[in-house]
Amino acid sequence: MLRMEIALILVIAFIAYVYLGAERKHTLLHRTFSVLLVALLVHLAFDGITIYTVNHLDTVPALLNEIVHRIFIGSMVFIVYLFYKYIAVLVEEETGKARSLDLAAKVFLAAAEIGVFVSEIAYIQTPDGNYSAGPYVAASYASVVFYLLLCAGLLLSNWEQIHPKKRFVIGIAMMIEGIICVLQGTHPTWLISGMGLTLMTLAFYLTLENPEILRAELTEQKMSMLYLKSQVNPHFLYNTLDAIRIQAQLDGDKKVADLIMKLVDFFRSSVKVNEPMITLDEEMEMIMAYLELMCYRYPKLHVSYDIDETLFEYPVPNFILQPIVENSLLHGLKNKGYQGEIHISAHKTVSGIEVCVKDSGSGFDEGKKERIEEMLLHYDREMKLEGNSIGVVNVQKRIKLLCGKEYGLHYTENTDGGLTAHLLLGEGS
Amino acid sequence: MKKIRVLLVDDEIVIREGFKKLFDWEAHDCEVVGEAADGMEALTKIDALLPDLVIMDINIPIMNGLKVIQMSRIKHPDMAFVIVSGYDDFSYCREALRLQITDYILKPVDYEEFGACIDHLKIAIFEKQKMEQADEEGEHTIVGIVRYMQEHLNEEISLNILAEEFHLSAQYISQLFKNEIGVNFLSYLTNIRIEQAKKLLLSTDYAVAEIAEKSGYGDYRVFTKAFKKAEGVTPSQYRRTFLEE
Repeated sequence: MLRMEIALILVIAFIAYVYLGAERKHTLLHRTFSVLLVALLVHLAFDGITIYTVNHLDTVPALLNEIVHRIFIGSMVFIVYLFYKYIAVLVEEETGKARSLDLAAKVFLAAAEIGVFVSEIAYIQTPDGNYSAGPYVAASYASVVFYLLLCAGLLLSNWEQIHPKKRFVIGIAMMIEGIICVLQGTHPTWLISGMGLTLMTLAFYLTLENPEILRAELTEQKMSMLYLKSQVNPHFLYNTLDAIRIQAQLDGDKKVADLIMKLVDFFRSSVKVNEPMITLDEEMEMIMAYLELMCYRYPKLHVSYDIDETLFEYPVPNFILQPIVENSLLHGLKNKGYQGEIHISAHKTVSGIEVCVKDSGSGFDEGKKERIEEMLLHYDREMKLEGNSIGVVNVQKRIKLLCGKEYGLHYTENTDGGLTAHLLLGEGS
Repeated sequence: MKKIRVLLVDDEIVIREGFKKLFDWEAHDCEVVGEAADGMEALTKIDALLPDLVIMDINIPIMNGLKVIQMSRIKHPDMAFVIVSGYDDFSYCREALRLQITDYILKPVDYEEFGACIDHLKIAIFEKQKMEQADEEGEHTIVGIVRYMQEHLNEEISLNILAEEFHLSAQYISQLFKNEIGVNFLSYLTNIRIEQAKKLLLSTDYAVAEIAEKSGYGDYRVFTKAFKKAEGVTPSQYRRTFLEE
């Protein structure tokens, strides 16, 4: 038995190590799970200790034996409570309804813990091994029954609103707890409660709490923040800008009116984020509006285009040019005081099209070429990206995803200075 | 030519002001006879002023623009409506087209290009009159000319070609368009070519290049450009959006 406890401790210790070290959102759900892992480790340790002490009643002092047993059962009650809490928080996240049973759960927890620490304890000796019994053990069974009922109530009353996967996990965990509890109750010498708790924890860890899922959640949160920032009621933005534009024009300021018009054009096309692919023509329109505004701000900037017009309808990933052009401006032309040229061209290739963004900027800094090439080659790796490189890698990712692995972005150095970004695009699948 | 009487409907005063002052109504034979800021006011003004054209925002208080058009249609079947909408959304557009509106334009409105919209309306009015006059005896020269244009849409058409065909001077024909329809010859030609292309895009599965040719555009690129200028979307996008439903 001791060997199983050691194995369980090692498993949970490993999971706790991975889990607590992983990046995650700091929500109540994940905090509860962290506490659960720590509590479970403590519990398993005392589980192992009691297995030893209960079988050495003559050599271990009675008081010590009693203390470790009470901590063992006390921590079990607490863990069962944490399971309830975890499920309750999960249900709350799913349904948006506040947790109404928490007070009852806490009161019960306090009562059960007091019961565990004050009620009588007895040791039963059998040929298969010794175990503790008496009223204090009843507290652990009572809490399992009580919290299982609470969870079942939560699950059944919110059945429709809970995601099927989460329903499944909660159901499985409750089933494990129920079965183990019955087995342990009918076979007191089996001492499998620790295994039951470990299995439940594993069920949650494998489905809802593993680092991949946590990271995905985190990324999604970051993305949706970005998304929200760019999407704050776009109609409000256009309508207000439009009113300002008309007022400017009414006041006779045609230049300002035209600029605002460009800005509206740019915003309107750039918030069509829900479409992964758009036509080259739409993409060009957006980048032209963007560059026109940049040229107004930096009059020494010159832009020219050479687009094969038969490619107007060609599908391209949405919003791939702006990050590239911005990169040319910020890393190439800014160093030259925004003085220079950007030339955008598009032409057919054997298997698709190539869009080139050529700038007359300062080119690669020392070592930058290798870094960029490395980044673009290993676009699918997790890496620390700063500033504008996020945009460039993101473009690479989307081209690879939407057009196919054989397409993508690469940079070349121009013979007359500056860089050219080559975007090789295909129709994808 | 009789002036086109216009009613402006938009809940934002600055947008109505913009329309009133930034578009040269006079030069396009129009006059703004009234304004309305919500759906109810629009209905009342439509009944009271009987405008020829209502320029209508969709998203207005009390009753939305599409509803106003629907209700006014019953009483005033000939009234022309142009929808102006901030909703970059073709579902509105489809619904609007079912209401037989003349045109659909998106905000922000480029006042310099709004003239094209008025030209479109004038041509629609002319086409309607032409139909009504069809059974009257004696045909107007202009009706003969536009019929010829319609029948030779896939060929090159110019004032000079028409002049030769009808034994009139090019200048006279040009003047005829201005006087009888209120638009210049080239606007008219572009208009019927684009209309033809739109019809073909939605009713046939010809390739865009083929449709360009059948609509009188020898060059595919010129066609795409002209189409986009007129409709705001490229031909294939136009076809996709309307056939997707």
